[in-house]
Amino acid sequence: MFIGTEQLTHTYMPGTPFATKALHDISFNFKQGDFALIIGPSGSGKSTLIQHLNGLLKPTSGQVVFEGKNIGSDKQELLRLRKRIGLVFQMPEEQFFSETVFDEVAFAPRNQGFDENEVENKVIEALEKTGLDPNELRMRHPFQLSAGQKRLVAIAAVLSLNPEVLILDEPTVALDTAYRKNLFDLLTGLNHKEKLTIIISTHHLDEAAALADRVLVLKQGELAMFGPAVEVFGRREELYSLGLALPPVTEIMHGLAEKGMPVSTSVYTLQEARREINKVKRRDRS
Amino acid sequence: MALVGPNGSGKTTFLKLLNALLIPTHGQVLVKGISTAVESTLPEVRRVCGMIFQNPDNQLVATTVEEDIAFGLENLALPPEEIRNRVFKTAALLGLEKLLSQPPHLLSGGEKQRVAIAGVLVMEPECILMDEPTAMLDPAGRRDVLNTVRELNRNRNIAVIHVTHFPEEAAGTDRVVILNEGKLAADGASAEVMTDLQFLHGLGLQGTTAVELAALLRQDSFPLPPQILYNRELVDSLCSLGQNS
Repeated sequence: MFIGTEQLTHTYMPGTPFATKALHDISFNFKQGDFALIIGPSGSGKSTLIQHLNGLLKPTSGQVVFEGKNIGSDKQELLRLRKRIGLVFQMPEEQFFSETVFDEVAFAPRNQGFDENEVENKVIEALEKTGLDPNELRMRHPFQLSAGQKRLVAIAAVLSLNPEVLILDEPTVALDTAYRKNLFDLLTGLNHKEKLTIIISTHHLDEAAALADRVLVLKQGELAMFGPAVEVFGRREELYSLGLALPPVTEIMHGLAEKGMPVSTSVYTLQEARREINKVKRRDRS
Repeated sequence: MALVGPNGSGKTTFLKLLNALLIPTHGQVLVKGISTAVESTLPEVRRVCGMIFQNPDNQLVATTVEEDIAFGLENLALPPEEIRNRVFKTAALLGLEKLLSQPPHLLSGGEKQRVAIAGVLVMEPECILMDEPTAMLDPAGRRDVLNTVRELNRNRNIAVIHVTHFPEEAAGTDRVVILNEGKLAADGASAEVMTDLQFLHGLGLQGTTAVELAALLRQDSFPLPPQILYNRELVDSLCSLGQNS
């Protein structure tokens, strides 16, 4: 098992009147190099699950596993672990605290005890990976940046430690179409070229569905579905009953199929849809 | 009405001007004929225009959901019975009945946003300003909120100004205003603005999936009508093409 959980259960504020079971008996594993999605209705436990994967939250029972080993509670070990498994929170730019972009990205490498030369190299490399220009931006105040740039700086801050796994909680919230596309291009590049394992939680499947290798669906803290993307997205009625939706382009294909057009419904991008509809049209004519 | 534009185009600034969180440097903003620059009439401006922010964490203040929804009403010094009634009614409308005694910080993002919306709705505003209210909601939550807001708009005549990055949401309104770099770039019926793909792409925006796919298929010489906006319209058009040929 590369990264995943075994019978993970998490209860918030156990033993108090506010005790809330957030996760119950979750077992799954993502493979190295996966582009994985975690989806589910609001309150189904996505953020709670994500925070277990790099040891920020500890299971009430069960295990979180990385490279076949249980994530324990030894502080030194957790520090090493968080270098390898990077986590980008929801709206991460709200947690900026440095005066410059450089210091913001340098925070983690400095914290890990690298000397200033190494820190500098790591910051520049991380900013470049996200497509930001280090020379132009390094001395800028993070709050002077555009929304999309801020999000990228937050991701660079995590990439600065060269993690092997990058986890992002709702990474596209409040980004416009252009920045969203840019962000997904970046994640695809990190996944393909840098061989990073990417795990994201999202409500927005428009772009994500086409990229996903494996999908995990949560429902009220329980594992509702887990499997290859095509398999999970093929269970349309079940997803609906959970209050989830397929990407709009997939819905169009379902609409066509229901009206008798012999098109595939495992279609997640505009270009795939275009090809599929053209194929049927050519068949019609011949 | 939908207010659309790239990040940084001035949408949030515009909303803040409408309920006097910001005052114009030049020109004036009128809410029911009242200038937002006059301090003595600010309470009336803010009663008329309720605001819902992007991030619900920034607007939840109380220790339970019930108290949070009641916060604005308590400031009006209404009788406790009336406050309770209005809070329960609003909570029921947004499906929050079961959460009333919960502390807001334990709710999920989507639930928090619905509490924030309830806190504004309970004040019975005449205009609701919404800054990407669905950005953090799941698809069902999004539908709930949009339907609720649509219903308030149609049946109670509450004006809604909705900032959104989702073309599907903009297409579902009556009117779309587009801002670009702080300037008015478009203002028209949503069926017209949201189908002008060349214009939208020029600003870095997108049409609905149906508009985008229809445009690609037109390039492949599918004779599709120009006004396709929704999935259903595209599906129907494509299927009727099949039958004619």
